[in-house]
Amino acid sequence: MRSNRPLSPHLSIYKKILTSVFSIFHRFTGISLSIGSILIALWFCLFALLPSYYFVFEIISANIFFRFILFIWTITIFYHLFNGVRYLYWSFGIGMDLNSVYFSAYMVLFLTMLSSILVWFLL
Amino acid sequence: MAEFTLPKNSIVKEGIYHKNYKNLENIKKLIIYRWDPENNENPRLDTYEIDQKKCGPMVLDALMKIKNEIDPTITFRRSCREGVCGSCAMNIDGINTLACLKPIGEVKGDIKIYPLPHMPIIKDLVPDLSKAYNQLESIKPWLKRKKYLENNESNKLEEKKQSPKDREKLDGQWECVLCFCCTTSCPSYWWNSDEYLGPAVLLQAARWVNDSRDSERKNRLKDINDSMKLYRCHSIMNCTHSCPKGLNPAKAIADLKKAIVTEL
Repeated sequence: MRSNRPLSPHLSIYKKILTSVFSIFHRFTGISLSIGSILIALWFCLFALLPSYYFVFEIISANIFFRFILFIWTITIFYHLFNGVRYLYWSFGIGMDLNSVYFSAYMVLFLTMLSSILVWFLL
Repeated sequence: MAEFTLPKNSIVKEGIYHKNYKNLENIKKLIIYRWDPENNENPRLDTYEIDQKKCGPMVLDALMKIKNEIDPTITFRRSCREGVCGSCAMNIDGINTLACLKPIGEVKGDIKIYPLPHMPIIKDLVPDLSKAYNQLESIKPWLKRKKYLENNESNKLEEKKQSPKDREKLDGQWECVLCFCCTTSCPSYWWNSDEYLGPAVLLQAARWVNDSRDSERKNRLKDINDSMKLYRCHSIMNCTHSCPKGLNPAKAIADLKKAIVTEL
């Protein structure tokens, strides 16, 4: 009887609220950063090799698709960085009431966008 | 490993549409999760149409109206109808809350009502909370004093007083009505409910840890200092978001973690 009991729906029906969305994106960005840093390291390896490899490095660098991915990667870095700082504050129990949580979330978004744009278009 | 999809017997099917033929103007549609243990069918979503003008302001009033006037088989827990008992906890419009505190007017469009997420269902909107209650028991939610013999003789009959300042430390913790809205809103609890205690129980743990009259503070902290029991909390903050009483379990858990680091 007991084992026949159905499990009530969870992930599919719970509203995608800011709190959980920011949390899961922190994980996603963390995972993609660790994979991305290996790829970036490989890309840098190209000019540590022979000069003849350098033009491969340049071809890749000029590729628009590659640059787009690099841009996303920049956003990922800054999101993970700023949201990580948010988590550091929470570890001290600071800024954990709901209003501060929402405020800091929007701050993270704002700072992420601002720094990504700074890095790519103004530096 | 977390299972993100529902088991086969839990997949929700379309149900019965209870149409309201009398009134077509002030109609509000309620889409409600139903499961009957007496037949072997999957859960289903039934739709009910109610006349909003002839119904009380809260979602619980709508449920009572349906039970009284349309379908007496619909099953849900309720008692105080004013947010004190914590019985009518359910998932309304995608967020866990108490039906008696959720105004119908706050929901735009149809009101979808599910039982508390990721719980075994007894019937319709009634989840089996026994696992959560056992977890609550495991943190020993009662006042513990060192044995009388270890203390002064005078301690034996004297009341243990608490200063208003010490009493203030319990504010935001004693108010919990144990509706388990927070616990069942926590994705981490969905995937680790066998071992992770969940926000509601950890909030209660904090309530007894912070009680100045309790002499077992250190032991209580030691008991919950466990990678599964406590540290499955990743500060997702869904608990604080969903609490119908406006409490902050996430903060209480963060303070517990801090106390463990600084005091043990």
